[in-house]
Amino acid sequence: MAPRHNFDKQLKEIQQDILRLGSLVEQALYDSVQALISLDVAAAGQVIMKDELIDQLCLEIEEKCVWVIATQQPMAGDLRMAVAGIKIIISLERMGDHCVDISRATMCLSGGALTAHSVEYIPEMADIVQQMVKDGLDAYVTRNVEKAKAMCAMDDLVDFIYNRIFRELIACVKEHPVHAYQMAYLLYVNRYIERIADHATNIGEAVIYLVTGERRELN
Amino acid sequence: MRVWSVLEGIGWRPVASYFFMLLVFFTLLKLYAVDKITIGVMVAISLLFSAFLALVLYKRVIVPLNEVIEAARDIARGNLSRRINIISQDEIGDLAKSINDMADRLRHTIGEITAEKDRAQAMLDSMSDVVLALDRKGRIIMVNPAVETTFGIPQVDCVGRSVVEVIRNFDLDMVLQRVQATNSQLIREVAIISPEPRIFILRATPLVGNTKGGMVVLLRDISERKRMEQMRSEFMSNVSHELRTPLTSIQGFVETLQDNGTEDPQMIRHFLGIIAAETARLSNLVDDLLDLSRIEERRVVRRWQREDIGTLVDQVLTVCGSRADDKQIAIKASLQPRLPRLFGDPDLLAQVLINLVDNAIRYTSAGGTITISGLVEGDEIRIDVADNGAGIPAENLPRIFERFYRVEKARTRGMGGTGLGLAIVKHIIKGHGGRVDVKSVVGKGTVFSIFLPLEIPVTLPAAESFYLH
Repeated sequence: MAPRHNFDKQLKEIQQDILRLGSLVEQALYDSVQALISLDVAAAGQVIMKDELIDQLCLEIEEKCVWVIATQQPMAGDLRMAVAGIKIIISLERMGDHCVDISRATMCLSGGALTAHSVEYIPEMADIVQQMVKDGLDAYVTRNVEKAKAMCAMDDLVDFIYNRIFRELIACVKEHPVHAYQMAYLLYVNRYIERIADHATNIGEAVIYLVTGERRELN
Repeated sequence: MRVWSVLEGIGWRPVASYFFMLLVFFTLLKLYAVDKITIGVMVAISLLFSAFLALVLYKRVIVPLNEVIEAARDIARGNLSRRINIISQDEIGDLAKSINDMADRLRHTIGEITAEKDRAQAMLDSMSDVVLALDRKGRIIMVNPAVETTFGIPQVDCVGRSVVEVIRNFDLDMVLQRVQATNSQLIREVAIISPEPRIFILRATPLVGNTKGGMVVLLRDISERKRMEQMRSEFMSNVSHELRTPLTSIQGFVETLQDNGTEDPQMIRHFLGIIAAETARLSNLVDDLLDLSRIEERRVVRRWQREDIGTLVDQVLTVCGSRADDKQIAIKASLQPRLPRLFGDPDLLAQVLINLVDNAIRYTSAGGTITISGLVEGDEIRIDVADNGAGIPAENLPRIFERFYRVEKARTRGMGGTGLGLAIVKHIIKGHGGRVDVKSVVGKGTVFSIFLPLEIPVTLPAAESFYLH
């Protein structure tokens, strides 16, 4: 039964690799937000450097998935595994890029101090997004559809906080135009984090597709 | 037909043996008693004797043997407390006894093995470190309950999965892969962010022995230790900065004196004055640091005893007396009569009073007065050090006990303070289970109060490091 065993091994390997990639992205999200809060330029630089590894892993996994589809001609559940794998790594790669964007913003903000009190909300939003990413990857490991759906529902909360921060930052610019530069970058960061949450929901959708075969828009 | 099925039930061997015995008896009788009794009687006797013999054999051999067989089967099924109740003196009795002995020994051995396994299990279960056993392919074959308290993952969900499915961390996975590849132990620090950011020390050791491959992974939480290390290095850098500032000043003025070669005696005197002041500042700081290291050492080997407040005050007066005289400041002691003795480390408590009195001297102008008073208030002893000096502005009062906190850099620089004195006071008093307080009016004076419990604290406060604020 050598071919079958090999095929199973390849699928298993793809899953493990996706989890490794996921852990890198989770780490990047955490590190980039921490670097922003403490305006730590060195840490931000680290995040940007480590993104190379994320991109490389994405390429490798994508190749493996394509290879499996091309050579093994998987059916049903196995085919969905490979396809969902590709969907997930695309989302993870985009999330990694947004973390780099956050880090770049940190580097542009450095030299000053974060004055806007709405900066308090950004870590809160980041925490929720961090939880979403974790839940999404956990749902992938355990093939838990309920968890994936629950995670996607958290996106509403993120959108709410996003709008709140947006309004506050704009108000701050009107009140203290001298801080406009800083506010602009924080607006960007706000956007990046919200986008990461969106990509996280894509992971949730991919998990649901993987388990049930349904395609749902849960954004 | 019924006879046939009964015979089938008994089996052909007993029936054949019966007929054999019948034949033997009949033949014997025929040979020896052919003329005494008829054939019919011979047959009847044979039948009777054979039946009798068969019955005896059945009762004495077959029944016990069946019992032994049944008991042996029972023991084999796992009922190790089953015993055979045959005590006859023959071989069957011996057989029964041997089987009983064997069951005994089996039960004893299995009991020992189980107890040992339970002990090992208990050890693993009570460890606060997370312990994982992995097989050759990196799948978890065993994990201890700590994984649930540390990472929030149920024990049962872990077995059979790979580590990265359970603890999703890239660095951890990399280390394990390296251990697998090189078959040698690795020890690394790993930062794991979920469920909360912590730093662990990871020890992955390949298994030796007859288990083919596999490894043991140990994760210990060292976040606390790292935090302390960080605080200590922060403190060190603070101290270095505090040392550098006066040194830069001194260097600057010395160089100026050397380069300019100015002959103006007034200028020279002025510069030397500044150098002297800064040197004094440095000296005070070093003294405070030495005090600190003494305190830290004492923290571990503390002498707890009862001390008379009057004795402490006398000590303080001896140490600070001359400095007070230089500024013509009077130090008065106003202690309530028959004050209970303090319970604590006499040297550290003396240090507290010396620091407070020293501060008072520093910030009181010539001719002023410092009063040390002691009284019982509620369930505490209260000791005040009051001066009629410059006073502290209200907005600075909340932070006055912080390390290196200065009210106003300009104002206190000239006073020669190090910024550590009050922090040391607070630290020592807290370590004695007490508290500190300050009240002040600018221009009028300041009162520093320390409160110490009357009762010996039931649980002594945990020895906390000075670096942890």
